[in-house]
Amino acid sequence: MSSEWPDTLAAAPGQYAACGRGEEHGLGVHWEVLLGITGKDFTIIAASKAAMRGATVLKASDDKTRALNSHSLMAFSGEAGDTVQFAEFIQANIQLYSMRNSMELSPSATANFVRGELASALRSRRPYTVNLLLGGYDEIADKPTLYWIDYLASLAPVPYAAHGYAQYYCLSLLDKHHHPDIDFAQGMKILRMCSEELKRRLPIDFKGLMVKIITKDGIREEEYADDQNVAVP
Amino acid sequence: MIPPPDGGACVAMVGKDCVAIACDLRLGMQALTVSNNFPKIFSYGDVHLGLTGLATDVSTVSDLFRYKVNMYRLREERNISPQTMANLVSSSLYERRFGPYFVSPVIAGINQTSGKPFICGFDSIGCIDFAKDFIVSGTASDQLFGTCEGLWEPDLVSCACSGDMG
Amino acid sequence: MAALFSGAPPQGGPGYSFKQTPTMAPSGERQHGFYPYTDNGGSTLGISGADFTIMAGDTRSTSGYNINTRYAPKLFKIGGEGPDNKGARIVLSVVGFAADGDALKERLDTIVKMYKYQHGKPMSVSACAQRLSHVLYNKRFFPYYVHAILGGIDEDGKGALYSYDPVGSYEREQCRAAGAAASLIMPFLDNQVNFKNQYEPGSGTGHDLQAKVAQPLPRDTVESIVRDAFTSAVERHIEVGDGLQMMIITPNGVEETFTPLKRD
Repeated sequence: MSSEWPDTLAAAPGQYAACGRGEEHGLGVHWEVLLGITGKDFTIIAASKAAMRGATVLKASDDKTRALNSHSLMAFSGEAGDTVQFAEFIQANIQLYSMRNSMELSPSATANFVRGELASALRSRRPYTVNLLLGGYDEIADKPTLYWIDYLASLAPVPYAAHGYAQYYCLSLLDKHHHPDIDFAQGMKILRMCSEELKRRLPIDFKGLMVKIITKDGIREEEYADDQNVAVP
Repeated sequence: MIPPPDGGACVAMVGKDCVAIACDLRLGMQALTVSNNFPKIFSYGDVHLGLTGLATDVSTVSDLFRYKVNMYRLREERNISPQTMANLVSSSLYERRFGPYFVSPVIAGINQTSGKPFICGFDSIGCIDFAKDFIVSGTASDQLFGTCEGLWEPDLVSCACSGDMG
Repeated sequence: MAALFSGAPPQGGPGYSFKQTPTMAPSGERQHGFYPYTDNGGSTLGISGADFTIMAGDTRSTSGYNINTRYAPKLFKIGGEGPDNKGARIVLSVVGFAADGDALKERLDTIVKMYKYQHGKPMSVSACAQRLSHVLYNKRFFPYYVHAILGGIDEDGKGALYSYDPVGSYEREQCRAAGAAASLIMPFLDNQVNFKNQYEPGSGTGHDLQAKVAQPLPRDTVESIVRDAFTSAVERHIEVGDGLQMMIITPNGVEETFTPLKRD
């Protein structure tokens, strides 16, 4: 009965301002858009193309994804140096596993490996501040997969997911329109609804979305037009 | 600095020759629900472990005990008993006395040797609460304390334990 | 579990009104902190039936880990004749800061008595309920630190129950628990009074399950639910105990009972 934690845990909300989810990140992190949608035989991963540092857009064609193996793709957002460093570290280790064992890790195994690395970093001297979406296609179960992982290494398998402020705009849309057995066209239609809503309501320009698709045939990039204007009421 | 809990509740109860353990399935960040399919009970043979608190530690601790219990089974060539599991959980959490896992575990199981039901709960650093009636944990522990204290009686039968009473 | 202690009492030492009486400012000057509020713990509860309303409250008054007294009523008759409120049909329960509770009771009692003096008829519960809301809201920026519950019989002879927040938001309800053990008692009431999470036996599983519909409960059932709620709260909350005061309001008057509770 001597632990400090449970007492303080139930304390008033707002007390954890300094350690609340992501509140210690620099401005800009939450504006990065990560979206994931699964359907009947595919997973869509979409990530904003803007690379922002403070108030500046450094790049408008940033790729916030890395392919871990032929059937899993990781999208990431978070603190500047951490993101790519962590993603490529994971990418290299997953590829090393494939080479050593002449087989590819399943998406669920990949997700748990990523979580494990992030979790052990969390209690190290310098944790990674990276939020992740892991889209994949499980070739054994013949099912698309999507994993939501935040910088605290909370892992959840989900039918659809988002990170940052995009969550507040998109999850409600997805709650209403998503079904587990939607086909690819319907999936893209829902994604379009999400991206239009983000364009309409996010106060900054995230420079459009880069869209990648994972199916049983592997990972491909999908052409995604972002030039039309969205009417704001 | 203490991280905010991700929200979740767990309750374990003793009945007539039975135990019950239940949890919610929500994973959320304050008011935003991220997942509606995040179980907080993990089964290790005859023993069931409920974990509430910080979601990342729920996963870390459940993975850690899967490893430890599997190693125990290989070494001992038998399932772990609820009592042994309780001591394993306690010592494993106390190992992290000054950098704890932010979880409040609950154990429920039936001892296959004695045939007797067993439940217990812990704080985040492993202090065991051996209760004869029920254990609650999580962000709704007050509410669960109230309902359990009001409705629990000795020798409840299993259909009543699962909240299916008329 | 340690989480049990998250309830309320020792936030910063004993709950004196003069919190940490004379303190030293960083500059070294003496400063006086005055906190006009104290939490006196305790719990109240009200349930309305078809032709009655039961109000209940424990009689312990605490400050921090100390017990001020084992008999401090939180239930007050409002209106009626004279200082003993003879013939009153309205009961007010207040929990939180006892001094504010007393002040609020005095104000409302005066208002209801003045109403009868001026209009020549007793005030209805609905009118009294709205007036109480105004009384609370009038102190919007220095509130009465109480969670009030008002019980009575409405114009149709049905049990009436109104619950309030400290600044006067109010609502008519079937049942309500307030105070230190509200979080323990309220889910129990949801289950036992409104039959939440209860289903018709044998109605199937999953979507076939038929929810048990709530109907007004008989008086003896309600009384035993109230007793169970409080004996349970006493087990798990240190600020609740000593005695259970109940007032049963019927069209014929207010019956008052007192039952001892555990004193540990």
